[in-house]
Amino acid sequence: MKIPVRFIASRSAFYLFTAFAAITINFFLPRMMAGDPVTAYMQRNAGQISVEAERSLRILFGLDKDSSVWEQYTSYWQLLFSGDLGRSFSNGLAPVGEVISSALPWTLGLVGIATIISFFLGTATGAIIGWRRGSKADVIVPISTFFSTVPYFWLGLIAIAVFSSTLGWFPASHAYDKGSSPAFTADFIGQVIAHGALPAITIVVASLGGWILGMRNMMLTVLDEDYITVAQAKGMPNRRVLWNYAARNAMLPQLSSFALSIGFIVGGTIVMEMVFSYPGIGKLLLDATNAKDYPLMQGVFLIITMAVLCANILADVAYAILDPRTRQTEA
Amino acid sequence: MRLRRTFIGAGLVAALALTGCSGAAPESQPEGGAALTIAKPDGAITTESNNPWVGDSAANRLGYKNVIFEPLAMVNAVGDNETTPWLAEKVEWNDDYTILTVTPRTGVTWNDGEEFTADDVVFSYNLIRNTPALDTGNLQMTDIVKDGENVVLTFAESKFVKQSQVLHIPMVPEHIWADIADPTTETNPEPVGTGPYTLDSFSSQSVTLQARDDYWGGDLAVPTLYYVSYNDNTALTTALANGDADWAQAFIPNVQSAFVDKDPEHNVFWAANVLAPDVLFLNHQKKPFNDLAFRQAVNIVIDRAAHTEIAREKAGPELSSVTGLPTPVGEQYIAPQYEGEDFSMDVEGARTILEDAGYTWASDALIDPDGEPVSFTLEVPQGWNDYVTGISLIADQVTESLGADAKVNTPDADTWWANKRSGNFDAIMHWTDGGTTPYDLYSDTMDGRWLLAGDEVDFNFGRYENPRATELLNTYATAATDEERTTALEEIQSIFVEDVPVIPVGTHPVLGEYNTRNYTGWPSEDDQYATADPVQVTVPLILTKLTPAE
Repeated sequence: MKIPVRFIASRSAFYLFTAFAAITINFFLPRMMAGDPVTAYMQRNAGQISVEAERSLRILFGLDKDSSVWEQYTSYWQLLFSGDLGRSFSNGLAPVGEVISSALPWTLGLVGIATIISFFLGTATGAIIGWRRGSKADVIVPISTFFSTVPYFWLGLIAIAVFSSTLGWFPASHAYDKGSSPAFTADFIGQVIAHGALPAITIVVASLGGWILGMRNMMLTVLDEDYITVAQAKGMPNRRVLWNYAARNAMLPQLSSFALSIGFIVGGTIVMEMVFSYPGIGKLLLDATNAKDYPLMQGVFLIITMAVLCANILADVAYAILDPRTRQTEA
Repeated sequence: MRLRRTFIGAGLVAALALTGCSGAAPESQPEGGAALTIAKPDGAITTESNNPWVGDSAANRLGYKNVIFEPLAMVNAVGDNETTPWLAEKVEWNDDYTILTVTPRTGVTWNDGEEFTADDVVFSYNLIRNTPALDTGNLQMTDIVKDGENVVLTFAESKFVKQSQVLHIPMVPEHIWADIADPTTETNPEPVGTGPYTLDSFSSQSVTLQARDDYWGGDLAVPTLYYVSYNDNTALTTALANGDADWAQAFIPNVQSAFVDKDPEHNVFWAANVLAPDVLFLNHQKKPFNDLAFRQAVNIVIDRAAHTEIAREKAGPELSSVTGLPTPVGEQYIAPQYEGEDFSMDVEGARTILEDAGYTWASDALIDPDGEPVSFTLEVPQGWNDYVTGISLIADQVTESLGADAKVNTPDADTWWANKRSGNFDAIMHWTDGGTTPYDLYSDTMDGRWLLAGDEVDFNFGRYENPRATELLNTYATAATDEERTTALEEIQSIFVEDVPVIPVGTHPVLGEYNTRNYTGWPSEDDQYATADPVQVTVPLILTKLTPAE
């Protein structure tokens, strides 16, 4: 196969520019908001902290020195290239890298696994429903759509009320039991699974509808194609026609949505994190925004931007491989 | 067929929702040696930092700093505002509160076995003096010397009204912190303190602390403390109700049914009134609040019972005394002429005041003496729900009873914050700082010293100017005798009541939720030795008073 040099070069240039623009916006966006970290701190501690604290907080956060936005911007790039994301104002001046790494694995693990399960389960169900159109199986479509339109926090609260408070099957909050520390033991892994079960199940239930509906609709279109009729006319087993002929083609648009949703996994699912008090990037970003914690916001934005860009590159590559037409920009 | 399935689905969900509401009642058999779980609603703990000085370190945010590091003395924010010597055997101020003499307690050991000495006290205060970034109280210490067994601290100003900020500085061991290069970024992974508990394990989901067996303050009933954080108030309320969490400080709407009624025998909600009411700051530089008659009239048509009932959802008592001092803690300060004098609504009286001042009504709308209709806007940030409800109620009451056109505006918090500092408003609802004297309440609302800052003020947002009040407040803060202070305070109160610089609306209590299933001896309305807030410096006092339930 000929390597499409011009295609790769133009895509690379595009991604480099996007990364540059995104990082620049990451810097300016937080600074365009009204307020600053010190007043945000005073607001959060309304009445609990005296106004005399303002001076010491400015010194503590390093905001007592006047430096122009341009100076801050250039030093931001310098720090970025040396791998230093700064220190988070709202986490006791902990390094931003450490703060993010305390939340990111949980988001990736829980939301990632839930998204993959949801994708495969939803696509497979959609394929089967599409294959048996008009059968009783069709009832799954409205039910699953119902669960994806129900507000997620409500679904989460009901799940807690039923499976945790009443039945006591799963813990209601947090990623593992209080008093235990992360370790590679059967006990700890069991705790993580028990604590992650409810959030994961509710995410799957809430997102399944989209995958089922998308796949089913594509199946209906594909099933009308001539090659399906031909395959069936040749007497091929239904299983093979369903999975190797119909589903394989119907899955293309699903794959690109999947690539995109991988990018969004990193952003976390803030409502889930709120309802289940689960650690994650979404709540981290919200807290950072409320606290006007510029370094942490920049760090989280950077991770999200990079994740979305990488997911886009993956989607591009996957499409270029699967569909030759996208490669033909050379012509 | 399809139809029926859908119905079964819907019915199932409804049934689940109904059963879910009942919840599980926690069992009520006292358990000896049970752990105590202290919870906060502030979101995940991120990285471990046991730095006692930096505001948002994990130790400070969760509050476990208070059971590791202890202060010289504790000043009670409720009760009699008394000072309890803690790591000091005694603390003595000179007459005008510029010199503090401390006698460190003997027989106290750090949790690494070393002895606590006067040198540690000198070192801790020097650390604050030499690190402006950590001096949140702006202590202005001029001299810190060891005098025999004692330590003598000298200040550039009188500390009478700021005693707690001086005394509540946590003591740290010199033999550890002397080698630390930058105390602002130090994470202090193995915290050494004199406190009753030591750090056992830290994870982003919970922090575990174990009781010391060699604590100077005696035996501790609770062997283990867990500090946990939930991501919001709803999750925390669930945890408190089903017994996963034991002790918290959180605003819970309908706290009676959401928390207390889940175990009425043991669950306790105590809103401790501190000396800090919520008040309406009024702009004294423009109409309509630059007119005393209008301020007086509005002051007596506000329904403070409705504010407590609806806006604060009964989280705390009503503000009753006309002096603005929340009771019972403020009772000891109320001037004799205002004892027992409570706010009461008087619409007729208010209309008479306005009429006498030359106001008229044109088809129910209030017209000021210049012939212009009276209108003003009340502002608080959007999303600050108790405040938003509070000003909406006031706007309705003023419009209905006086005919003034009262509007409500809820800008975003940052805009509101900037406007309040620059004085760009008609009226805003705001807190006052909670001190351990009434000084903060009266200074924050009427002191001319704030106005010296120029265009951006930190308090007295309405620019109330009264040289006599400024002078009296200064006297109260710097006087050398109790008589001078009492006289000054009495006159300050009469200015506050007569001149209505701000309108006190409701109390802003320190909330606390706990249960007596396993331990008793908690602070309460009847025994106000401390607030029931688990993140205050007084927590070691509470933990030494707890005893196993019978």
